[in-house]
Amino acid sequence: MKVRILRKQSPTAEPYWQEFLYEKKDNRTVAGMLDELNYKDNLKDINGNPAPGIQWECSCLQGMCGGCAMVINGKPALACETFLRDLKGDTVTIEPLKKFFTVADLVVDRSVISENLKKVNACIEEYKLSDKADHEQMYSAAKCLKCGLCLEVCPNYKDGRNFFGALFANDCYLIASRSGTQKEEIMESYDSHFAKGCSKSLSCEDVCPMKIPTLASIARMNRRKL
Amino acid sequence: MKKVCIVGSGIAGLSCAIECAERGMEVILVSPFPSERAQSVLAAGGINAVLSSEGGDSIESHIEDTLKGGCYIAGKESVKGLCEDAPEIIKKLEKLGTVFSTGENGKIAQRAFGGQSYNRTCYCGSATGKQIVTALVMECRRYEGLGLIQRRLWTDFYKALIKDGKCYGSVFFNEARMDLEIIYADYLVMATGGQNALFGKTTGSTLCDGYAQGRLFLQGVELKNAEFIQYHPTTLETQQKMLLVSEAVRGEGGRLYYVEDGKRVYFMEDLYGEKGNLMPRDIVSRTMERTGKEIYLDITFLGKKEILKRIPEVYDLCLKYRGIDISRESIPVSPSVHFFMGGIAVRNNHETNIKNLYAIGECASIYHGANRLGGNSLLAAVHGGRVAAESISEDKSETDVKNFEKDLEEERRKLSTRWASESEFPVVYLEDLVAETLKEDLGIVRDEERLLNGLKDVDYYLSVVEKLKYDKSEMPYLGFSVTGILTLAKVALTCALFRKESRGAHYRSDYPETKEEWQAATIISYDDGKFNVRLDSENVYES
Repeated sequence: MKVRILRKQSPTAEPYWQEFLYEKKDNRTVAGMLDELNYKDNLKDINGNPAPGIQWECSCLQGMCGGCAMVINGKPALACETFLRDLKGDTVTIEPLKKFFTVADLVVDRSVISENLKKVNACIEEYKLSDKADHEQMYSAAKCLKCGLCLEVCPNYKDGRNFFGALFANDCYLIASRSGTQKEEIMESYDSHFAKGCSKSLSCEDVCPMKIPTLASIARMNRRKL
Repeated sequence: MKKVCIVGSGIAGLSCAIECAERGMEVILVSPFPSERAQSVLAAGGINAVLSSEGGDSIESHIEDTLKGGCYIAGKESVKGLCEDAPEIIKKLEKLGTVFSTGENGKIAQRAFGGQSYNRTCYCGSATGKQIVTALVMECRRYEGLGLIQRRLWTDFYKALIKDGKCYGSVFFNEARMDLEIIYADYLVMATGGQNALFGKTTGSTLCDGYAQGRLFLQGVELKNAEFIQYHPTTLETQQKMLLVSEAVRGEGGRLYYVEDGKRVYFMEDLYGEKGNLMPRDIVSRTMERTGKEIYLDITFLGKKEILKRIPEVYDLCLKYRGIDISRESIPVSPSVHFFMGGIAVRNNHETNIKNLYAIGECASIYHGANRLGGNSLLAAVHGGRVAAESISEDKSETDVKNFEKDLEEERRKLSTRWASESEFPVVYLEDLVAETLKEDLGIVRDEERLLNGLKDVDYYLSVVEKLKYDKSEMPYLGFSVTGILTLAKVALTCALFRKESRGAHYRSDYPETKEEWQAATIISYDDGKFNVRLDSENVYES
């Protein structure tokens, strides 16, 4: 199969496409394929030209850390849980997440996620016992990997300057359901940085690797507003 | 204001950062990636604490189980501190927003883990580590907003600043600037996790490679109990890693068996009775290996509904990566490297033999002796952070400043020389070679011949490593970290060769007995090219 990767050598370099040949193995993930391509002392592209190792980020290799989020055949996904057998056609196209700054190849800087949460002081501060009915939703929302896939796919999220996206809505819910002091503040932030900008496409739920029911978080936040 | 630099932002690092900030200290929290990427998020099973004496449990029992599980070479005082702090830790984690699973009475639910006399493992489904990380990140953010904690990402540990037995901060490799830099601090706390790179495919994160321990060892920091490496009995192999099948599966009644003459043999129950499946991890792993058979773990009897309620993550993982529906079929399991009881030697306050240099979490060796009990690692990570913060806060000794700029220039020169030339030999090959060696020669069962062979291999790798140039297309970290990783491999083999007995996770087929004269921790130090090993018979580190 052909592997087409959008590459960039350094933060300031120009991006370019490079293609590689790879013997497809159905049970391999995209992460496994990248590892295999890199595990050569003479990586060559499809034209036989020497190519530098492909840079990408990983940690857990089992879909629990969000490190390897990238765009695979046009769809934002985690490389470690995307199996080659599920990809259609003989070519796989891999790009870095486009809504973040590319550091090198498939490595992006997602610090805007935590910076935004910090900006609005997204924390519980004083704990208030939560409603038992919230337990399951809180457990789900707290599984957020901060991988950025929901932001990548979102039609409303641009660069994180105003609209902070689905992961922000889930964190807001986690705070609003348990904070004794931050409730009003977080409701305001939720309004201005999420509710006003969300067009409810719900594409965020489709790509979430943890299957977080963001719609349920939104519904509970709306109920609190009333 | 005291300035504390913490390296690593998993649960131990976060816990320490928060506790330092609570005490009004200034914290710089350094890690290459955000906390969500830390290995802590993989910790599935739970966190131990005695929350009530109703069922007969007691803190004394938690202490005794921990010491017994560790084969009586962990310090009594430090373990006492760990177990006594546990109920308070659970309370605090809950207040910070950790979503613990609860029983019908609304109280935190607890289940049984291996080696425990009572059900004392609190848990959050089977994603306990992840839920704790989420809560701690949020609390950490509060102090970031207050300006007490400053996070530094894209920054890799390079070496500590040590002079005359005292630490003054650390040199880091800044990935954004592609250059070395110094962060001066009154105290340096290492929270860099375990040493998975020594074994290649493990249950852990690829980011935990043991480089920091190896590098610090070469700088004069003593290491401890490096021969004690825990094999988790139930892991499931995938192409890229060993997936942990949480102990929670056996905690919920899961049964281990092999098939003989068409019949299931529940060998752990046959050997150890009703609680056989929940024997400590070292015993289960060794017994599995001895059978020489394919081992399976059965939890189907629980039914899909209960499985999805109690261990949903295990269900999802097995289905996703191996196509196994655990509600309908047994899981093929095998032991794999999971946890390192050994690491940086620390006293009860988590300070190393170097003044103002601390170590916490899995990179430190203190509570688990020769074998760790399930549910005690998350506890130790949080507790260690608390203890270190308290000790730093109470430290009355004077802090001073030393200039290390000349050393920095020297390190810059060394690094650029190594990195200046293209190499056709990626250092990752060396890492793979050492992983092969250790898997073969430092496995579940060891003997002198194999250990000596392993040492011969690693010595050879060490002899060539300094001659290698770093591949320019790779991050320099991959290049400069390999010496530390190889050094740590030699440390582990040397300690395993030194301990001529079998204890906990260290099993020598040539010395199968546990011997009283060896009931002490192994300490290893570096002096001018020499690896010196001794037993801490006088319990120097238990003070």
